[in-house]
Amino acid sequence: FKDDLSSSPQLFTPMSPYDVDLPIQTTEDVLFSSQFNQSKELSTDFSSVDLSFLPDVTQDNKEQNLSEDGCETQKELDGSLSRNGDSGIFMGESNFSYADATQPSPEVSGACLPLTPMTPMTPVTPASESSGIVPQLQNIVSTVNLACKLDLKNIALHARNAEYNPKRFAAVIMRIREPRTTALIFSSGKMVCTGAKSEEQSRLAARKYARVVQKLGFPAKFLDFKIQNMVGSCDVRFPIRLEGLVLTHQQFSSYEPELFPGLIYRMVKPRIVLLIFVSGKVVLTGAKERSEIYEAFENIYPILKGFKKAS
Amino acid sequence: EVAYSQSTGQKEQLSRCLQRGIRRVQDLCKVLQLPTVFEETAVSYLQRALRHPSFHLVSLEKKELLGGCCVFVTCRQHNWPLTMGTICSLLYAKQEMFAGVYLSLQKELELSVPALSLADLVKTHLNSFRLFQHAADVPAPFVEDKEKMVARTMQIVELASETWLVTGRHPVPIVTAAAFLSWQSLRPAARLTCTLARFCKAAGVDLPPPAHLRLRELLQILLRMASQLAWLRVFKMDKKTVVKHIGDLLQHRIFLLKNAFCLEEEEEQRAAAPGERSPGSPPAAGGAAQEEGSPSGGKRRREGGPGPLLPPCLTNPRKRLRTAALSASDLAVTGDEPISDSEIEQYLRGPEEVRAFRKAKAW
Repeated sequence: FKDDLSSSPQLFTPMSPYDVDLPIQTTEDVLFSSQFNQSKELSTDFSSVDLSFLPDVTQDNKEQNLSEDGCETQKELDGSLSRNGDSGIFMGESNFSYADATQPSPEVSGACLPLTPMTPMTPVTPASESSGIVPQLQNIVSTVNLACKLDLKNIALHARNAEYNPKRFAAVIMRIREPRTTALIFSSGKMVCTGAKSEEQSRLAARKYARVVQKLGFPAKFLDFKIQNMVGSCDVRFPIRLEGLVLTHQQFSSYEPELFPGLIYRMVKPRIVLLIFVSGKVVLTGAKERSEIYEAFENIYPILKGFKKAS
Repeated sequence: EVAYSQSTGQKEQLSRCLQRGIRRVQDLCKVLQLPTVFEETAVSYLQRALRHPSFHLVSLEKKELLGGCCVFVTCRQHNWPLTMGTICSLLYAKQEMFAGVYLSLQKELELSVPALSLADLVKTHLNSFRLFQHAADVPAPFVEDKEKMVARTMQIVELASETWLVTGRHPVPIVTAAAFLSWQSLRPAARLTCTLARFCKAAGVDLPPPAHLRLRELLQILLRMASQLAWLRVFKMDKKTVVKHIGDLLQHRIFLLKNAFCLEEEEEQRAAAPGERSPGSPPAAGGAAQEEGSPSGGKRRREGGPGPLLPPCLTNPRKRLRTAALSASDLAVTGDEPISDSEIEQYLRGPEEVRAFRKAKAW
C-alpha cells in the first residue's frame, strides 16, 4: 500500500486511512466514500429504448483487470478512470461499486491489498475524521414503466418464475436468479424490482424482467426507471447507550423498547432514517442515492462515538 | 342578529369524533387516577391530532386509540410510568395497532417523548404484588416488607441498567426478575427453593416470558461480581448460592463492576496513547503496527482476568447471518450487460408444460 502511494502521487489526496482511534486490523477501505458527497451525475432516467442490445465496452476490460483475490491494484483504476470519462458517466459511479468491494471481512488478514483511493474529479476537502467504515448496501427498490397493459393471468400461465394470487395481491410476483431479485408486475404495466445489492444490479434485473414480459408477447418498453429506496447497514463495533442518545437527540429519535429494540433516528439532512441498535449495528434507509447513505452514516458516527465513552 | 345555536353551544362545534375522543381520555384519566392537568394536556394533543390530515381520515378503529395514545404520551412526558401494555389492555387494543398510531402521533405532532423511567416503573409495578400483607393464600415466609423490597429491586434494576441488560429490552420483565431476586435475597433460607413462576403466582402478577432470560443474565452478572469479592472467593458460587450475598454485592457494586469487567474507559486510554495521531500525517506502516500493538497489549492484560462489559447480544452472538460482501463479479455489473435469449427462455414454459399447467390449475 505504501509503495503504491509513492509511485503515483498525482492520484491521491493525502488522506490518511488510519486517522481514527478505532482499532483497524482489517482491510476496511476508508476514505473516498465520505469524500464523494457530490452525487453521481449518472442519469438513471433512461429514455424509452430497450438497451439490452447495447454492447458493453467496459465489461471485458474490467473483468481482466480484477485480480484473483478480488482486490484491485492501482493499474486498473487508471484504466477505468479514462474509460468512464469517455462515456460521460461520472467516474465515481462504477468505481463506487469497487468501493464496496473490500467490505471489512475479518477473515482477510493483511494479505489483500487495501483499496487504493482515487482522485475525485473535483477537489474535495477531506473529512476531518472519517469513520473508516463504509455501509454496505443490502437492498435496492426500483420502479420502471413497461408502458403497456398486461394480462397477469397470461403471464402467470406462461412464466415459470411467476406467482399470481389475485385474491391476495393484485400483481404477479416474479423472481430471477441473477441478480437475485423479486419483481411485482402490475396489469397497468408498472413494475417494482426489489432485492438487488446495487443500483446497476437493480437496473439489470429490471431489464431482465422486462425481457421476460417481452418474450411473453407484450410490447414492453423500459421507461422512467428510477431508484426509489436504498437500504444499507454497517457496524460501528462498540455498544451504544440508546437511552442516552434519545435524551440528547430527542427531536430526531424515537426509542421505545416496549415496541422495538432499536432506536429510530430520523435524520433531516440527508433525509434518512437510521435504526440504531445496542450492539452497534446500524441500518440506514430512505435513500434515493447511495451518497445519502454514506453521508448519513458519517453524520451519525461522531454522535455514536460520543456515547461510547459515556457509560 | 345572531342565532341562539351560533352564539352558544360550544359542544356542538366539536365533531362527534372529537367528543367521543375527549370522553375516552377523561375515562382513562379517571381509571388511572391521573392528575387533572394530564387530562387537559391529553385533550389538547387529541384536538391537534384530529385536525392533522394524517389522522383526520384514519379508520374509526384507529381513532378510538388516539385518545389512549394522547394519554400515554402525556404520562410519559410527566414521567408517570405507564406502560404500553397497560394502556393497550385498557383500550382492548392490539399492540401492533397501538404502536402504529403512537409512532405516527409522535412523528406528525413532533412530540418529544422521554423514555420510560425504570425507577418509577419499579414502584408502580411492585404496587401490584400481593406479598406485602399476610393473606390466606400467601405462605408466611413469603411475606415481605414493601419498602425493603422496593429499595433492593431498584438497586438491582440499576445494576441491570449499568451492565447493558436493559437497553433495547422490554422493561417489565426486567423489573419482574429483579423483584424476584430481591425478594429471594431478603430471606434466602426460606425462599431459595421457590421458582420464579411460583413467586409470580403467589404475588398475583403475570410472568412475562423474557423474565426467565433476564433472571439468568442478572445471575451471571452477580456471579462475575462475586468473583471479585475477597471473602466470597473461598466459596464456590453458583446461581443459587450467590443469591445469599446479593446484599453485599449491591453494597459494593461500583467497586465490583470496575474490577469484574474491563470497562471501556481503560481500553480507550490504552489505545489512544500510542495511537494518537493528527490527520494528514503519513500512514506509516509503523503507525499501523502501533495501532495493532495497543489493543493486543490491552488484551494480554485482560487475558487472565475480567472480560469487557458488553450487552448480551454481543457476548453471545447468534449465528452470524451477515451477508457476504459483494463479489468481484457482482461489482463489475454496469446494468447495461447484454441479456441472452437463453437466459430469459429458462423462465418460460414450453407449450406442453403450459398445457399440463392449464389442466392442473383449470384456468
